[in-house]
Order: sequence, then C-alpha cells, then structure tokens
Amino acid sequence: MNNMLPLIRNECLKIIKKKRFYVILLILIVLVPMFTYAQMRSAERSRDKFNSDWRLEIQQQIIDNQNSLGSDRIPEEWKTYRRIFVQQLQYYLHHDVNPNEPSGVTFTREFMDNSVTLFIPLLIMAVASDLVSAERTTGTIKMLLTRPVKRWKVLFSKLAALLMFVSLIVFSTFVISYLISGLAFGYKGFNIPVFTGFKISGDSVDMSTVHAVPQWKYMLMQGGLVWFVSVVVALLAFMISVLVRSTAASIVVMMAALIAGNILTNMASAWTTAKYLFMVNLGLTGYLSGTPAPIEGMSLSFSMAVLAVWGAASVIISFAVFTKRDILN
Amino acid sequence: MNDSKWTWRTVSLISIVTTIILIVGLVYAVRDIIYPVGEASGTNLPQQTAAPVTETVKKLKVVALGDSLAKGTGDNTGEGFVKRTVSGLSAKGVEVDSLGNMGINGLTTAGLQSKLDEDGIDYALHMANVILLSIGGNDLFKDSNILQNSGALQSESTTDQELTPESLLAALPEAVERLGKILEKITEINPNAQIYYMGLYNPFGDIPDLLVPGNQAVAKWNNAAMDIINKHSNMTLVPTFDLFNKHLDKYLSTDHFHPNGDGYQRIGERFIQAIH
Repeated sequence: MNNMLPLIRNECLKIIKKKRFYVILLILIVLVPMFTYAQMRSAERSRDKFNSDWRLEIQQQIIDNQNSLGSDRIPEEWKTYRRIFVQQLQYYLHHDVNPNEPSGVTFTREFMDNSVTLFIPLLIMAVASDLVSAERTTGTIKMLLTRPVKRWKVLFSKLAALLMFVSLIVFSTFVISYLISGLAFGYKGFNIPVFTGFKISGDSVDMSTVHAVPQWKYMLMQGGLVWFVSVVVALLAFMISVLVRSTAASIVVMMAALIAGNILTNMASAWTTAKYLFMVNLGLTGYLSGTPAPIEGMSLSFSMAVLAVWGAASVIISFAVFTKRDILN
Repeated sequence: MNDSKWTWRTVSLISIVTTIILIVGLVYAVRDIIYPVGEASGTNLPQQTAAPVTETVKKLKVVALGDSLAKGTGDNTGEGFVKRTVSGLSAKGVEVDSLGNMGINGLTTAGLQSKLDEDGIDYALHMANVILLSIGGNDLFKDSNILQNSGALQSESTTDQELTPESLLAALPEAVERLGKILEKITEINPNAQIYYMGLYNPFGDIPDLLVPGNQAVAKWNNAAMDIINKHSNMTLVPTFDLFNKHLDKYLSTDHFHPNGDGYQRIGERFIQAIH
C-alpha cells in the first residue's frame, strides 16, 4: 500500500495540472448565477401575484393540479404524480410550513434535486471521461506502463484520484450554489423544516411515516445520495475511457446514455424492464423528497442495488481490460 | 515541487473529509428512507411566517370558489368572470386584490363541501373579504353527460339520455340543502366576508325539447338559492339567467355549456355592479 500513495498523488496532481477541476468550478460559477436569477424572477412574480402570501400560492398550485386531474388528455401516470404532489402540498399547508421558503439553502436543495440526473454527472464526466483515454491520445500511456509498476496499480491510482475528485465536485457544487444563491436569497435557512418519509403506494401517499428534518440534515442526506450517484457515474465513465480510444468518443457515449436516461424517465413507465438500466435510477434524491419513481417497482434499495451492480461491473471490466490489453499506438 | 506537495496535501485532506461527510449523509439518507420514523406531526415546528395582518384600509380581497364557471372554462382568454370582475373593479378605481381562483372543473356541491375542510381553502377564505361563488350547475346538469364530454357528444347524449324535467329536478332538493350548508360554512369560516353567489342560467335553451324543463329546473334552483341567500345579510345572489336566455349562440362557448369570453364579460359586469 505504501507505494500506492505516490501513484495516487501523481494522478491527483495530473488532474489538477490539466485544469479540468477549475473548468468545473468555472462552469458552476457561471451557471449558478443564471439559475439564481431565474429563480429570483419567478419568486418576484409570484410575490406580486399572491401578495407574498405563500399559503395562497400553494393553495392555487393545489387547485391548478386538481384541475388538470379532470382532463382526459393527461396521461394517467402524470395524474398519479400530480395527485401525490397535491397531497404533499396539502400536508405542508396543514403543518404551516412553506416548502419553498426562499433562502440560499432552499435554492441549493432544489438545485441539487434538479441536477442529480444530468448536470452533476456531466461535471463528473469532465474529469472521468479522459482519465485513461487521454493518456492514449497523447501517447503518455507507454511511459506510464513501462515503469516497474503493476498495471492494476496504475489503474487503481487513477480510480482513487477520480473518487477523490468526485467528492470534491459534489461538495463544491453544494458550496458554490449556496454561496451564490445566498447573495440573492440570504444565507439563512438551515433550520427550516423539510418533510420527508412520504410513502407512496399507488396514487396515494401514506403520511404516517412523514417527519420533519431540519434543512441542513436534509442536505446532508441529499449530498450522500448525490455522491453515490456520482461515484457510479464516475465508475462508468472511467470504464468507457478505458474501453474507448478517444476522449471525444468516451464523452459522447456517456452523454448519450445520460440523456437517454432523462428521456426514458419521462416516457418509459410502461416499459418496466427499463428500471434495470442505470440511467433511469440516477434520481435517488427523489426518494428523499417523495417524488414518485419513474417506473413502478423502483425503491431506494432497488435503485441503489442496480447502480451498485453497474458500478461494480464497470470496475471489473475496467481492470480486466486494462491489465490484459496490448497497448498499440 | 514544494508547491505540488501543498496542493496534494490540501486536496487529499479536503477530499477525504468531504468523502467522509458525504458517506455519513448517505448512511443517514438510506436509514431515513428505508426505515422512516413518523413523528407526532405538528410538534416542534416553528411557525414560519405569521399570517399577514389584515390592513385597516378597506381593500377588496377577492377569492373565487366553485366549479368551472368560477374557473373560467370556455373563455379563450382564460380570464373568466373572476378576473374580469377584478380588473373591472380596479378600472373603476376600487382597490382590489385577487387572492386566487379556487374553481375546479366539474365540482359539485358535495365536492365543494369536502373542499371547504381543506386547510388551504380555509386559509384563503379567511384572508378574503369578497368571496365569489359559483356552484350547482354540475349537480343539476351532470346527468346530461355534457360536462364530462365537453360538448363533443352533446347532441346525441342529450337525445339519448332523456334530460327530462323529472331527472333534472330529482337531484335538486339535496343539492339545495348542500348549498345552504356550504354558504353557512363559508360564513362560519369568515363572517366578515361578503359572499356573491352566481345564479344559474339555462345552457340548453337552444334545444327545443330542453328549453322548458331546463328553464324550470334552473328557475327552481335559483329560487331555492334566493331563499337561502335572502336570510343572510352577508350574501348576494347575482342573477345570470336573463343574460343568456335568448342569446345562447352569442354568449356560449363551443361546448354549448360554458360561457365564452363575452358571456363571462357580461357576468363580470353583473358582479361589479353587485360589489361596487
């Protein structure tokens, strides 16, 4: 293990020297203000309409959703989603808690919920997708492998460095989103209660297990789930970068898979076997907020198991391929 | 080299710490989702924002409640009589705020009764001092199937399904009773608000077979509603029967049931006259 550390350190420094991590930070610093601004505008608008009375706003939201339930043009699964949503809103109203209390913390929470399936995986890919393939494109892989170090150790050091950066990326997304949105919405709000534990069965919600957690704890849990998703995405992207020669191809493959996942979650509820695909299971935070899963039969343990299997398989494949393959250039 | 040493140290330290934090979060999350523990709800929740204090200035705060007519179904602009009333009032220089439109398509008196128990509706009614109510049309005409099919099948279903005077009147007594209870409940929730109830019109006046029974049923309903409303000082019935009676083609939308924009405009004018 002792000779492992310098290798990991080396890989880490390579990632930093490539400035990839700074690019990620830059993307966040550019994009988060845009989302913050959009959110601020919509908050302002509804404040004008509802005289800054969130209860009226929530009630109007309930009514609007109930109205759409009567329409025959709306697919049944959307109706289920809306029925559940209405029940949750009513629960918030009943307990006099504003689910959208404007604050930097609330914004961060919602931002993470929305970005877990596509945006954060994208940031992860920025680091993961070219870890191995870039060495091939530039030819440095030969230098790396002619050293008296076992191949699996080289790959392992890359993987370890990648996982370190996964944590850093997830964490900095939280921090940057909080710092920037706090400018607009204020930095308070860590103790606002958030309800979790909505048990969804069919199209009704079992409220008996609902409980309030302070927002900081909710974000901690959310962070854990986002991290899990990110690790799996990183492992997959890592495998692709081992398998594919060019960095561009490896990014395209991962992107296609992720986007396919986003499309599938919106339309595949009839095709139930799709739930075994990793990209449909990326929305782990939905289980925390009580959003119905895209396909029936999915639960947190199911999704985590599916993701874990995909992750483990990609690690095995990565190592198997990397240690066996001839390096030709 | 010294530089990279420090980079490595900070990066590795931060990433190890964050990894541990995130893993702790993951453990919490998994435990919380898989074994959720419900708590005695409502305890130790901080009161978020105090309900806004009612201003001393007499400003009209309008809430609309009821069925598709309150919602404004059939109006291509989406405004309905509620928004038209509010904007008409403010054009006259009255200070008026709309607190929301709680109209739901297809709502019956029974449906509205259970709605009144909901926290959000209760709250909105509390905050209002003008309540626009439209209910009853679906109780009276629901057997005609027209509401469900939005007019697509209206001609055949009306002939098939015998919209006889008897069938129209069958549901009436109970529905009237429920209307009375609804009005009382609203008064109980907010005794200081003025309630404006929209009288019914006969949407089937252009079908010869239905003209007379429809008129009779609607008149009976309106009379019954009038009877209740006259006993309370905080209620007003806003009649609409005459607005549509001979002008159905002009003021009804394509579904032959709901008013169109012009129809809503006329209803809105009535409401403005009643309120101001």
